[in-house]
Amino acid sequence: MIGDAFVFDGVAHPFNFTPKNAYGSAGEMFTNHLYAFHNVLTPENEPKQTAEEFLKEWTPDDIRRMVYDHSDTDMLVAMPLPLTDLFRDGLSPWETCAELATRDPDRTVFWGSVNPLEGRRALDLMERQVGEFGAKAFKFYNVRYDYGSPFPWRMDDPQIAFPVFEKAQELGINLIGVHKGVPLGPQPVEATQTWDMDGAAAAFPDINFVIFHVGLPFIDETCWQLIRFPNLYASLAATINFVVRAPRLFAEILGKLLFWCGEDKIVYGSEAPIWQPQWALQAFKNFTIPQDLCDGYGYPQLTDVAKRKILGENLLRLHGMDVESTVARLGRPQTH
Amino acid sequence: MTQRPARVPEWARAALSEVFDPCCREKGISVVDMGLLRSVDVQAGHARVELLLTSGWCPFAARVLTEVEEAIAAHPGVDTCQAEVVWDEAWSTDRLSPSARRKLRFLPDPVAVGDRDAYLASHPTPGGPP
Repeated sequence: MIGDAFVFDGVAHPFNFTPKNAYGSAGEMFTNHLYAFHNVLTPENEPKQTAEEFLKEWTPDDIRRMVYDHSDTDMLVAMPLPLTDLFRDGLSPWETCAELATRDPDRTVFWGSVNPLEGRRALDLMERQVGEFGAKAFKFYNVRYDYGSPFPWRMDDPQIAFPVFEKAQELGINLIGVHKGVPLGPQPVEATQTWDMDGAAAAFPDINFVIFHVGLPFIDETCWQLIRFPNLYASLAATINFVVRAPRLFAEILGKLLFWCGEDKIVYGSEAPIWQPQWALQAFKNFTIPQDLCDGYGYPQLTDVAKRKILGENLLRLHGMDVESTVARLGRPQTH
Repeated sequence: MTQRPARVPEWARAALSEVFDPCCREKGISVVDMGLLRSVDVQAGHARVELLLTSGWCPFAARVLTEVEEAIAAHPGVDTCQAEVVWDEAWSTDRLSPSARRKLRFLPDPVAVGDRDAYLASHPTPGGPP
């Protein structure tokens, strides 16, 4: 826990950055982007990794050490990347994520991931990820490169998206994340906008959808969707890492979310190992929205109650977990 | 609160008014209107352009730099151009031009909304008439 806040980290990826894993220049480009993100947003007074240190195959032990030993994180989502069009194993293979979750079965939750364009094969893999490996949710990525150039699909597509949503429900899963904003490689930007979330949320009111990387960019669009659909949520994964380098930008994003969507619909994610989680956690714990932004724009202030909800309580609820008993059982005293 | 980019000649502003970050192309917001441009300096036929990125995430930075260099180098008297991203200043929404602000920010500032729920009930589309 950081202070009195239980920390449930909504995303860590055990990346496989070994050079032979990338398919050609697009994969290499994406790998280099991620290293650049590490360098650009890690604060000056925090250790930065060399390219040799960063661009390796991250093991479950590496992730555990970074998240649990070197930060005040209490729970974690082990999240695969199914980018099998850019990397031989998808970059963060679901099998490795499932293994990461087995190391701390009480604390680490496995989310599955498939490529919906694979049809029946995707549905079969969903069954396996839930039935054999205990996946508690799924994460999707809307642009593929399988045919040599960007091939986007939409979350409101009845032929591509809805079958995987129906399969999730059949498997007892009601939590689905989706990568939005932040293009992964040379993607058409239209496919990373959030307008397709209306159709998904309306057609599947019993599924809670988490939109990742809110505000990078498209904050107004995302707010407008979050306002109108009670089953849409916002993840600050990666967004929160602007808290030190661009605090006013971060304050604007957070202020808009707090006003339009409310503190119950925002969740935290570290994106470890791109960034070591502790510095952003500490900065968020100490963060307040500059008073001139509250006075000038009417943003609500970020309260301690809101911080607790964002850092852990909301994600616990989304996983169907009781907040009070989980915090009592798994909350660790702050040590960093 | 809008700050116009400093140290940018008018010809350079005009030359870059048709250069777009891919995220803004469909909305017709140029790198100038996005406030990405910090300075354009020409010395002995070599132009140096400083750009801010809206976020360190942008994977299109290399492409935008190339397009900026081509547009500037096409100006009479400029033989070569080097565009660089600068990191000693953070981009903020204060840098948006009024037209970009209108296109990108369709939700009003909360201070102008007052009761959020009443606003939502009366506005089927954001920023539209009640």
